[in-house]
Parts: sequence; C-alpha cells; structure tokens
Amino acid sequence: MNQMTDLRRVDNSPMLRVTGLTHKVRLETDTLTILQGVNLEINRGESVAIVGRSGSGKTTLLGLLAGLDTPSEGTVELDGSEISSLSEDERAKLRARRVGFVFQSFQLLPALSALENVMLPLELAGIGSPEKRARDLLERVGLGERLSHTPRQLSGGEQQRVAIARAFASDPVILFADEPTGNLDNRTGQSVSDLLMDLNREQGTTLVMVTHDESLAARCGRLLHIEAGVLTEPDTAWEKTD
Amino acid sequence: MAAAKKLMSVSRDWRERDVRVVLVALIIAVATVATIALFASQLQRTLVSSASSFLAADRQLEAENGRPVPDAWIEEARRRGLETGQMIEFSTMVFGESGFQLVSVKAVSDEYPLRGDIEIQSSADAPRMVVSAGPGPGEIWINPRLLRLLELDIGDTLEVGSLKLTIANLLIREPDGGFRLSSLAPRVMMHVNDVAATGVLQEGSRVEFVYLFAGSDKALEDYYHWLEPQLEASHEWEGVRDGETFSRSLERAERFLLLGGSLAVLLAAVAVAVASRQYALSQRDTVALLKTLGLTGQGIGRLYLRRLALWGVAGVLGGLAVALPLFWLLVRMLSNVLERPVDVYLDPAALTPALLTALVSLFAFAYPPIRRLRSVPAMRVLRAQPGETSREAIPDMLVAIAAIFCLVWFYAGELTLVVSLLGGLALLLAVLALTGWLMVSVLRKVRGGGNAWRLALVGLYRHRQASMAQMAVFAMTLMLAATLVLVRSALLDDWQAQLPDDAPNHFLINIAPDSVDEVEAFWAERDASLDMLYPMVRGRLTELNDLPVKEAVSKDERINALNRELNLTWMAELPEDNRLVEGKWFAPGVTKGVSVEAELAERLGLKLGDRLTFTIGSEKLTEPVTSIRTVQWDSMKPNFYMAFPPGSGLTEMPGTWITSFHLDENDKTLLNEFSRRYPTVSVLEIDHIIKRIQEIVKQVTQAIEAILALILAAALVVMAAVVSATLRDRQREGALLRTLGGQQSLLVRSTMMEFALLGFFAGVLGVLAAEVSVYVLQMRMFEGEFRWHWQVILPIPLLSAILLALFGRWQLRPVLSVSPMLLLRRLE
Repeated sequence: MNQMTDLRRVDNSPMLRVTGLTHKVRLETDTLTILQGVNLEINRGESVAIVGRSGSGKTTLLGLLAGLDTPSEGTVELDGSEISSLSEDERAKLRARRVGFVFQSFQLLPALSALENVMLPLELAGIGSPEKRARDLLERVGLGERLSHTPRQLSGGEQQRVAIARAFASDPVILFADEPTGNLDNRTGQSVSDLLMDLNREQGTTLVMVTHDESLAARCGRLLHIEAGVLTEPDTAWEKTD
Repeated sequence: MAAAKKLMSVSRDWRERDVRVVLVALIIAVATVATIALFASQLQRTLVSSASSFLAADRQLEAENGRPVPDAWIEEARRRGLETGQMIEFSTMVFGESGFQLVSVKAVSDEYPLRGDIEIQSSADAPRMVVSAGPGPGEIWINPRLLRLLELDIGDTLEVGSLKLTIANLLIREPDGGFRLSSLAPRVMMHVNDVAATGVLQEGSRVEFVYLFAGSDKALEDYYHWLEPQLEASHEWEGVRDGETFSRSLERAERFLLLGGSLAVLLAAVAVAVASRQYALSQRDTVALLKTLGLTGQGIGRLYLRRLALWGVAGVLGGLAVALPLFWLLVRMLSNVLERPVDVYLDPAALTPALLTALVSLFAFAYPPIRRLRSVPAMRVLRAQPGETSREAIPDMLVAIAAIFCLVWFYAGELTLVVSLLGGLALLLAVLALTGWLMVSVLRKVRGGGNAWRLALVGLYRHRQASMAQMAVFAMTLMLAATLVLVRSALLDDWQAQLPDDAPNHFLINIAPDSVDEVEAFWAERDASLDMLYPMVRGRLTELNDLPVKEAVSKDERINALNRELNLTWMAELPEDNRLVEGKWFAPGVTKGVSVEAELAERLGLKLGDRLTFTIGSEKLTEPVTSIRTVQWDSMKPNFYMAFPPGSGLTEMPGTWITSFHLDENDKTLLNEFSRRYPTVSVLEIDHIIKRIQEIVKQVTQAIEAILALILAAALVVMAAVVSATLRDRQREGALLRTLGGQQSLLVRSTMMEFALLGFFAGVLGVLAAEVSVYVLQMRMFEGEFRWHWQVILPIPLLSAILLALFGRWQLRPVLSVSPMLLLRRLE
C-alpha cells in the first residue's frame, strides 16, 4: 500500500502550503500586480471557499494553487510537492493523479459522450478499467441513463454533473472548483452544489472553491476573502446560514 | 483508451468544420498533383510516341556513306533488349508498261515501323486503311500519283532494276514521311530483302542505310553511350528531341504542364496552411483542458502528430480515389482527340509527387501551427489567454516558404521558374501589404454614403488584418489563375499563328531557274498562290577563318550542319518570320557578306566578321558574317541556315528554286497535272505532317484545359479556407448587430459591400501581378512576345467583386435564418 500512503498521506502536513505568493503581469507600458504576498495553509479534508469581486485575483490564485500557472514570486506546495519548481510536464502528471477540477463553463469536450468525458482523465492517468468507474460515477450523479449523450444533448445542470463525475473520476486528493454554479439557475445550482459537497465528503477530498455565490461559500468549512490581490481571512468562523 | 482514441479518430474529426477544410484541401492537393503527374507522364508518353512515329522508332541511326553499319552494332542493340528494324533508302528509275519514272525507294524490314503506323489504300476508291507493317517480299506499295503518271493499276507489275514486283497497295502515308530532301520523287515502298535482287545498288550509289531502335529511354541512352565512340562523321543518331519541327511544341507543352503542377502545389499548400492554422486555433481550448486533466506537452504532441498522420493517410487515399477516375477520364478524352485508343499508362513514379505533396503539406504547412499547441497554457481553462500574435506565426511562414521553394523546385526542376514564380509572389505580397494598408487608411477617412457603406468600411477596417490576408490570398489565387489563362491563350495563339489553316502544306523543289515564271503562272491560274520563291544552291561549309571547319570547331559539338550539304540561298529582304539578333541586314546594292542562323552561329561560335568558306561543287566562296538571325523552323516555309545578298558570288553557282504553298485536299489532283507538265520539279507533300502537328496541339490544349480546371478547383478551396477563417467572428458580429436592432437588409448590404470591395481590390492587384508574371514567363521561358491583355483588366476585378459579394451573402445565411439569441448561444 505504499502508493496509497503516498497519495493520501495521513500525516498532519498541510495539503496546500502557500508562501509569499506574488503574481505580476507585464503589460505593454507597465507591470500589473495581481496577487500580493499571499500566505495560506489548507489542511487535508478541509473545504475552503475563496470569495471576491470580479478582477480581485481569485481566478489567478486558483490557477496558481492548481499548478496551471507559475507565480512570479513565492512557492506553492501541493500534497508535499513544491509545484512552482516543477516543469510543466511534471505538474501535468501531478494533476493527472491528484487534482480534480470543476469549471464554471463545464469544459466538457463536445465531441465525446458523457461516459467518454468521464473516462478521459482515467485513461490519461492510466487507471485500470476506466469504463466501469466512469459508469459508476455517472450513476452516482444521477445520469446513468444518459451515458451516450453528448454535452450538446444535455442541459447545463446535467453537463455540470458530468463534469463533477469527471472531477472525482481519478480519485483526486484535492478538488479545485471555479464558480461551479456560476452558469446555472438557482435551483439547478443548488442541486449541483449539493452533489459536489456530498461527493466531496464521501471521498474525503480537500476542496478549494472560488465563488461569489454566498450560499455556496457558506457550505464550506472555511472562508477566505480576496480583494485587490490581497488574501484575508475573517477572524471569526463563518456563521452557517443554512 | 477508448475516449482518447475517439478524440483522434478521423471520422469524428470530419464533423469539425476546420478539419473538413484541411482534409478537403489535402484531398484536392493530392488529387490535383496526382492527376497532373499521372496525366503529364501519360501525355508525355503519348506525345513522345506520337512524335516517335515521325521517326517510325524512338531513335534512328542513319548511315549516309552508302555502307551498312557493322552487324555487331545491331546485335548489341538486340542484346540490350531494344527492338530494331532496318530501312534502305535510294532513288532509282522504275518501269511500268507505259513508261518510267524516277522514284524514291524505301525498302523496309518486317519490323518497320517500330512506332506509328502506315496508311494505305487497296485501290484508288477504297477506304484508307491503317496497317502496322510494310509490304512483304515480292510486293511494292506506290504513291497514288505514280499510279496515274505511269497509268498503272493495283495488281500490275512494276520493275525495279531487274526485279519485278507486284503493286499490292497505294501508299498514302508513312509515319516517317517527314522532311527529307532526298525524297523528292514519288515514294515507293518494298521489302528490304528484295533490294539485293534488284541489282540497282552498286558501289558508289547514293544510298542511305537507316536503322530503327525502340525501347526504354534508359536502354536507348545506354546503347547510345556504347555506340557513340564508334560512330563516324557520316553516321547520324537521331531522336525525337533532335527533330527541329516538333521539339519546340513538346518542350513548350512540357513546361506548361510543369508550371501548372507548381501552381497547383502552391494553391494546395496555401489552403492546407490556412485551414490547419484555423484548426489549431480552435483546438486551444481542448488542449488546455487536456493539460489540466494531466496530459503532458509531449502527450499533446503525440496526440496531434498521430492525428496528422491519420489525416495524411485519409488525404492520400481520398486524393487517389479522386485522381484515378479523373485520370481515366482524361485518358478517355485524349483517345477521343487522337481518334485512336491510348493505352492507359499508370506511372508509379507519378505517385511520388502526390505522396511528397501530402507529406510536405502536412509537415511544413499543417504541422507548425499544430505543433505550437503543445505550449498552450493550461491556465486557459480558467481564463481566456491572449491569442497567438502574428509574430509567433513568423517561423511557420519561414518554414512554409522554404517548403514551397523546395516543392516547386522539385516539380519544375528549374531554378528560373521557381525564382521568377516565387519572386513574383513575394513582390505581390509586399505590394499587397502596402496597398492594403493604404487602402484601409484611406477608406477609413472616407465620409458619406449610407449606413451600409459606412458599416462595410468599418468592417474592412475592423478586420484589417484578416482583410489584408484574405485580399492577399484572393489576389494570389487570381494571379495564378489569370497567369494560367493568359499563358494558355498565349501558347495557343502562338501555335495557331504558326500553323494557320492555310499554312503551306506542299513544297516545290528543284524548279529550274528558267521555269520559275512558268511554275508561278501555273499555280496563279489555279488560284493557289506560291509563297516566296527562293534560289537554292547546295554547298558545304568547309572553312572558318581560313581553317578547316572541323578543326576550328570544338570536337565536343556534333553539328549535323557540318556533316551534310547545306541549302544556301540569296534574298533581298529578311523573311517576315525571321528576326535579326546581331549585325545588319544587307543594304540594297551590297553583294558581300552572309547572314547565319542564330543557333548554328552559337554552336559554331561565330561572331560578326568571321570568314566562312563554302565549297560548292568545285568552286569556293568566302564571305564574312554580316548578320545573325533567328528562323522559325516550324513555320513550314523554306528556311535557310545561310543567306547571301542578291548579286553575291552565289548567284553564279548552279542552283534551283524552292517554294512552298497551300493546297486544299480537294485540289490534290492538280498535282498530277503539274507533275506531267513539269516532270523535273519535285513536289513534297507535307499536309499529313501539318495535320499531325495540329493533332498534337489539340491534344496539348485539352490537357492544359483539364489541368486548368483542376487548378481552379484548388483555388476555390483556398478561398473557402480563408473565408471560413473569419466565419465565426463575422457571424457573431452579425448576430450582435441584429440583437442590437440592425435590420437584415442593412446587414446584407454592408456585408456584400465589404466583400465586393475586397474582391475588387484583390482583382485589380491579381490581374496586375498576373501581367507581370506572364511578362516574365513569356520572355524567359516561352520565348514568345508579350502584349498587354487590356480586355481582362476590368472584367476580372468586377467579376471577383461580384463573386465575393455573393459569397459574403451566402456565408451570412446562418445569421439571417435563426434568431439572434440562438445564434449567440451557439457561437459561445
């Protein structure tokens, strides 16, 4: 069970440790600072919501935390790996085995069926019998009857369910969600977020979510604010409203 | 890897618009190139075999010294797998019951002709028949004129020397009945084995032994290589390409096919490059997602490389599936034109350019933009990233230019063609960039006009990069198409001008000086006017600047003109179709000097002022070179290497006169009357040669038109590829305009106007560029004369404006047919 231990360390080291994270973008005339000295630790199994207005830098932060981009300064340590020092390909391999994503715009491949979309990360990670696992997950998200449908034939809520099934397919240790209900109406958003939170709890995954849906943020164990590239954490625990 | 595999399957790809364009472009590229290559090699073969039939073989070896060549030479040819045959040509008297006549005898072996066929008639009224072998032993075939001259009939006996032969057929046409001044008298044909029995060939008789060879080019080359050191001055090795009359037609046809091939490659390449760049851009989201899901850059590279390979296979198979039936159709057309069956010749080597094109199209034009997908940032899944800048595409363009250069070079095999073609294109692009920039800047300042006009101008300006790119491609496509059309008509005009319907088709030779006037009067009375009459004196060029000519000239040059007697003439004026390239034509009253034909002058290394000495009979005549002129060998008029001024020493020498004229087929019986009245004048009938040349021209024209059609199809795909590149943007804008309350008619008018403007400017630039490239090609390659094509300068831009406006209207369909809401969502 070495591998298992490796993947899901039970030690107390944080799942995510961010130190002095700064991100700057060079424009034609000057340099724009998007993130300024962010320090953050997220423990295993925690669920964290990052809220902030448009342009506050939250999407950039999410991208850096997930290793989709590299910071100008500072370090990001994900599950014990210092990802800012890894090459792009090494980061991709890390993502394949340990990271799941849910996006605002679903990001399903239009040419593939629901089943195939869920199978894709399993195949990329080289995980055995991908079809069975994909079927099970789609059953779990309530789309057992829609396996062969392509994204175009599914509603927005259904597409996001497929995306959630995909996110959990490779059994990730951490899940990043970018406005997962942002493109859905209230009711659908509610049921999608229920599904996301339930699965997260079942799988014991660490969840990092960017949102400005306050009710969704409220369901997370921890709430962070970001404004003008600076991350702050309210002193008091968030009072659950629902 | 079911899902991943599916991501790469061609059948799924086919459902994506951009991939369809890439694949269609690829298929058209391969199909065009394969068809051209296959057809060109077929045509080449047909043309060469057509032309070969003028020799009745692929090569001829002539022994003019009256002695047969050693048997070992023929043995060696057979050993090398060549077909061989033999002819003996001589002149003699033949005797019929009512008289005798000088004839020119061609005695042929069983194998004659190795190429081409013989046309005969079994009686004067019988239909003409085509046969593939000459007379058997004991038989003789005779020219119909002889039948009448000697009042003979089929089945009668004709005595050749001491041998009696039966007249079996009338000889209408022999494949190699070309231009031989030795064949002055009516032709008879007999079997070569009968020659000895006639007893007419004595030591010192004027007789020519001719040996025929046929086989593969390689075997013929190798054999000649073996033979050459043993040849004497009196031996002449003749191939199709040495024949002055036909080689030019062949050469020009070949060049045109090559040019067409290169242009097709160019168009295909542009289509593939544009469509695949578009495809790569559309794949950026997918790549970002795959990277997010953990696929490495290398994995992305492999994924797309495999996909490219699949496209390649699909493109080649699809292209061949289109090319083969097309090729078959062209061959059918060819045999219709030739009115004889043509063997389909599927040259495996012709598939190489098609495969190479597919490979280069994929790796030099499609791969670079797709390769860069590896570096698409994964972050793109979260946020739109700045798209590719045009600077990133610069290496692609360099690769593409290098590839185009190499491909066109490979096709044309000629640096001049490549450099002038690509130079022209580069110049065009530079001019385009400048004009496009100017146009956009100027149009931006234009005020007034309706809403639609303003929107059209704004549209052009807003898409200025795309507009310029589209204009460049349209202009380039138009230029290529226009170049082809112009060169085609130039070529055809050229040929037609050389061989008009009333081209001279008969020669009169051996006209005694004192009967010149009478002969002229004879034909004038019968409404057939003679061309210029030229005096003709036979003489040999023996000395150059007082040195024996064979010493004065480089040994490497085998110059036929030095091995035989030349026809020398004098003339007061330069013939119409001759052109002076150096020196001055004889002024009136000048009696010294000689004018030399340009190619011979070059091969002999002659300069103005060099002294040439001719031996005529026992006399010698020495004159300085005073001018050098070009001659139209294929004009079917008497042409001369050497021309002297009237009143020169030549006029004192014994000579005869020669002329050519046109005689309708219906009037051919006049020849009998003429021959009876002037038995010493020889009539050379070349009407069948002219017919054959016209046949070849027709053949080549058809080929050119077929290739033109293919290239235009390729051009259309390029256009479609380029326009589809901005399709989504335009549709989105259209939908927005409608959402914001723009009326359909406004949208339609402004879009059509925008495209019409684009089309018009592209048309103007394309036509101008075509004129320049035609000028270069005409001057450099086709040795023709250039003239402006005023008649196309306005119609083409107008036509292109109208076409593009309609095209713009057509691509607006989806914007107009569905609700803006639906459209915006679909385009999201």
